[in-house]
Amino acid sequence: MPHQNTDAEAKLKKLGQRLRQGFARQHPVPQQSLDTVRDAVRQEWEREQEATRRTSTKRGPAKAKPREPQEPDRGE
Amino acid sequence: MEQLIKLVRTYRLTAGLAERLTLAEEVFRLIEPELRFFVFGSLTRPAAEDVLQEVLRGVATGMGKFAGDTTAEFWGWCYRIARNKVNDHLRKQAADRLQPMPPEELRQLAESSAQASPLSPEDKHDLEIALALLARSKPECRDFLWQHFVIGLDYTEIADERNLSYDAARMKIGRCLDEAQALIS
Repeated sequence: MPHQNTDAEAKLKKLGQRLRQGFARQHPVPQQSLDTVRDAVRQEWEREQEATRRTSTKRGPAKAKPREPQEPDRGE
Repeated sequence: MEQLIKLVRTYRLTAGLAERLTLAEEVFRLIEPELRFFVFGSLTRPAAEDVLQEVLRGVATGMGKFAGDTTAEFWGWCYRIARNKVNDHLRKQAADRLQPMPPEELRQLAESSAQASPLSPEDKHDLEIALALLARSKPECRDFLWQHFVIGLDYTEIADERNLSYDAARMKIGRCLDEAQALIS
C-alpha cells in the first residue's frame, strides 16, 4: 500500500496518541459518568427481570394444564 | 486492550446485578475517556456533556446484547452509538457543532500527556509538524485525518459514518495523507 509508513502518517499517529493521552489526563472519569452507567445497568437489569417474570407467568398455566386422558384403544 | 473485550464477554454472561455493576464500571473506566474525547471533539459545551451522558447510557444499556467478539468490533459499536447521538443532536442544534480545536489547545493537550511519558525534543518537533499538517490541510482532508489519526476511527468506522465504501474511505485518507506528506517534503 503506497500510503503506509510515511513520515506524515507517523507524526499524525504520534499526535493522536498524545492528544488522547493528554485529554484522558485532563479529564479523569467523573462520578457523573459512573452514576449514569450504574443507572442504565440497573434499569436494564430490572427490565430483564420483568421480562423473565412475564415469560414465566405466561408459561405457568400451560405447564399446569392437566393432560388429556388417553383415548381408549379403538381396535377392541 | 484485550482486557476490554474479556470484561465485555464476562458482562454478557453475568446475570447478577452487583456483578454487572462492578464489570460495567471497569469497562467504562477504560472507554469513557475516548468516548468523551470523541464527543467533546465534535460538539461545543455544555451540549457535549449532555450528549456524552446519553452515549454512556446507550452503551451501558446495550452492552449485554452486543453481538461482536473482538475489541475492534466493540469499539466500532461504541463509536456508532456516539456518532448517532452526536448527529441526532446536530440535527436539532446545528450551532453546537464544534469548530476545529485551536492549535494552542492541542499543544496543551499534548503537553498534558508528557506527565505520563515525557516529550523528547524529537517528539516535540514531530508534534509541531503534525499540528502544522492539520492546520494546512484542506478542511475535508483535515476532517479525515483528524478522525483517523487523532480520534482513532478505523476505515470501516469512517466509511460507515460518511456512507462510503471501505475502499473509498481508505483511498480518501491515503490521498489526504499524500497531500500532507507533500507539505513536509
